[in-house]
Amino acid sequence: MALGKSKKRSQKFVPPKLMLTSMMDMFTIILIFLLFSFSENPEDLKLDKDLELPTSTAEGEYQETIKIVLSQKELRLNDEVMAAVQGRQIAGLTNDNLESSPLFQGLKTFRIESEKSENGQEPPTHVLLLCDRSHSFQTINRVIKTAGLAGYPNFQFAVLEE
Amino acid sequence: MARLGRIRHKSEEDTELNMVPIMNMFMVLIPFLLMSASFYQIKAINTSVPVHADTHAGNLSNNEKEKITVVLELKEKEIRISGLSETPNDLFLSELKMVISRQPDSEASMDELVNFLKALKSRYPASDTLILIPDEEVLYREIIQTMDSARNYETETLFPNIVLSGSLG
Repeated sequence: MALGKSKKRSQKFVPPKLMLTSMMDMFTIILIFLLFSFSENPEDLKLDKDLELPTSTAEGEYQETIKIVLSQKELRLNDEVMAAVQGRQIAGLTNDNLESSPLFQGLKTFRIESEKSENGQEPPTHVLLLCDRSHSFQTINRVIKTAGLAGYPNFQFAVLEE
Repeated sequence: MARLGRIRHKSEEDTELNMVPIMNMFMVLIPFLLMSASFYQIKAINTSVPVHADTHAGNLSNNEKEKITVVLELKEKEIRISGLSETPNDLFLSELKMVISRQPDSEASMDELVNFLKALKSRYPASDTLILIPDEEVLYREIIQTMDSARNYETETLFPNIVLSGSLG
């Protein structure tokens, strides 16, 4: 009887083994998925809640340059708020005052600074435009015209891959 | 024999991998990757606004003379297509005119547009420029959709250089 009890006790004290294999499989899958969706500079193009980009079949890559964001609520130039947006109207940016708008002044400053710093090299002439999909061309056109007048006639429209 | 069996059994137990450090590594790696992962892919469409430039038609070669520039007016209820050429020819330019009725977000009008652009491209293969003139009411997503249709069809490149312009008047 005593022998039987000690046998039972010794069976009880077998340290429990965790079944880590299935967990390892899961982690490996997650790791591979995350490695594939890894972005080198995710902070550079952070999309706001009030900015919904249109989808496109375009496959071109964007370049690091001056960034204009036209969201549903505001117009920003490199994270600096230039004007508030209400519906189709951009505050302080009408067809009559494009060259006196804060956007034009900001772009002009960038243009002058880049011409000084490039030392003979041609300064960038394009702008990355992140525009909300619901804006009308009337609104976008003012921004485009202003950038063109400030010396940036080429654009890259940021879109989401389909 | 019984002792030999015990030894063999012990050596089999020793071959078990210790997964805990690997699990620890995963637990560190995954939050780091989750923070730096992007769940959307941002791409870019290159375009430009019209700029004044001096052109000399006399310097163009024969192939370049065959080039046309497609003008696409994107209106609320229709798409008007016309053409510009360095070598004006009334008959030739009249062939380029086309009006497609359009419903917002309609696939049919885009298909019709693509078919017409494909026909133009096959006739003037050197052409690569399209001037897109949207109406003020047209939405940005519709402009992008039209640009996609004009730029390429499946693997075939149509008019990759798209110039965005406001309508005059």
